[in-house]
Amino acid sequence: MIPTEDLKKVLSIADEAMIENPDGTIRLVATECRDCGQRVFPPTEVCPECMSESIKFFELSEKGTLYSWSVVHAAPKNWITPYIAGYVDMPEGVRVFAHIVNVDPEILSFDMPVSVCKVTMGLDPDGKSIESYSFVPSMTGEN
Amino acid sequence: MREVGIIGAGMVPFGKYPQRTLAEIAWPAVKAALEDANVPKRDIGAAYCGTALGGMMSGQRILKTLGITGLPIVNIENACSSSSTAFREAWISVAAGIYDVVLVIGVEKLTKFGGGTLPLEKEDFEVAHGLVMPALYAMRAQRYMHEYGLTENHLAKVSVKARAHGQYNPDAQMRETTTVEAVKSSRLVADPLRLFHCCPSGDGAAAVVICAADKLAHYGGVPIRVIGSEINSGKYMTGFRDMTSPEITLRGAAQLYEESGIGPSDIDLAEVHDAFSIAELLYYEALGFCNKGEAGRMIDQEETFVGGKIPVNPSGGLLSKGHPIGATGVAQIVEVVRQLRGHCGSRQVEGAKVGMTHCTGGGISGFDHGVCSIHLFAR
Ligand SMILES: [Zn+2]
Repeated sequence: MIPTEDLKKVLSIADEAMIENPDGTIRLVATECRDCGQRVFPPTEVCPECMSESIKFFELSEKGTLYSWSVVHAAPKNWITPYIAGYVDMPEGVRVFAHIVNVDPEILSFDMPVSVCKVTMGLDPDGKSIESYSFVPSMTGEN
Repeated sequence: MREVGIIGAGMVPFGKYPQRTLAEIAWPAVKAALEDANVPKRDIGAAYCGTALGGMMSGQRILKTLGITGLPIVNIENACSSSSTAFREAWISVAAGIYDVVLVIGVEKLTKFGGGTLPLEKEDFEVAHGLVMPALYAMRAQRYMHEYGLTENHLAKVSVKARAHGQYNPDAQMRETTTVEAVKSSRLVADPLRLFHCCPSGDGAAAVVICAADKLAHYGGVPIRVIGSEINSGKYMTGFRDMTSPEITLRGAAQLYEESGIGPSDIDLAEVHDAFSIAELLYYEALGFCNKGEAGRMIDQEETFVGGKIPVNPSGGLLSKGHPIGATGVAQIVEVVRQLRGHCGSRQVEGAKVGMTHCTGGGISGFDHGVCSIHLFAR
């Protein structure tokens, strides 16, 4: 049997923090504590507020707002530089670290709407492509 | 708790020592501190060694070269605050009366990683997604510039100051002066941070000897008194934290000022954790040297230059001295000891009586910083 990993040649590093819909779109997944309501991204198995293990998964919205970003030129070898690193604030109250893709950094602005999407972010040391979520500026008129 | 004083200090020039082992880098700093303290080996009650990436038994590897063995040796990892944490633990042990004389070492050899950004913990979700320290500080800078009108010139001036001070420090790695224009034309690392906004990586070691005040008569000399010691971990926040406000430093400084009865206006000089230029500016505000939003004005008016209202990083700081991470905390203390003794030549802060060290560390998801340790000293 060929290991599944080798068949895919893709490494998703988002793990359970991302789900893919049948139409190819993706959503981020966070957790909420059933006892105190604390929300956490990426998902956790225990609540950092009340230590409850009664945790439910829920999907985050497609869109968030861009808190800050930086065009990164120096990073470990497996990343394709330059890339844009950013923090995105989601309406559900969690902040998500993400790459911002398919955009000229000159047009980025503080608190602008951005939408989640899936990308290949780089290569792992074995040459597999690293796949995860990222964000792209939302289309105008769609806000 | 007993009063505690520093009676010896030593360090090796920070730089690149790829051919030397961790122990070979560190022993000269330890020997210098012991000779400065006039303490015989047999009087050392315990040793605390701070290193983030030095590997197992770093303290034992170092101290066997000088034949200082058979005593309690404790190795401490706390990222960039490893040796400021070691100092704090050593201080507690002497203040509590467990030992009379204790040796504290900070050491790191980063050349073994072959350069580039600091290797972070890959189990961390954000690190796995490409968060590197320059990017984290760059995002703080971007947001601060947006909210408070800070400019690239302000950022550059922090680096200019660091080199202006560092040129007079023989233990600093980058001793050439620079200009705002040169900083602004150095290569981009993580926009808006350029190469000269980032502390150089490297190797180094520093050591101090502390002693209970009631045992000082054995060794002569004038001690530098430890008048405040504080350590905190960051608060884990899953929500929208304000990245223009370094919460752990704010909280730590407030606690230290309250406990020690010392205020920001009593401080004659401060060695702060300027791993990146923006960091120093954020700390002016968090340490209470100016109000929120005034850091740009402060560097513009050169209030933090030697000769200014509150000189910050007279040693040249991490930006000029370099940042062998586990060595930094004790190296900051060495500079404050030298300043308070009046031994700093052209970078001397005239009449310095009270000095501060501030050391943060750790890039992990959901924290402003993982750790922060602040100390106050007086002569
Ligand atoms: Zn809970």
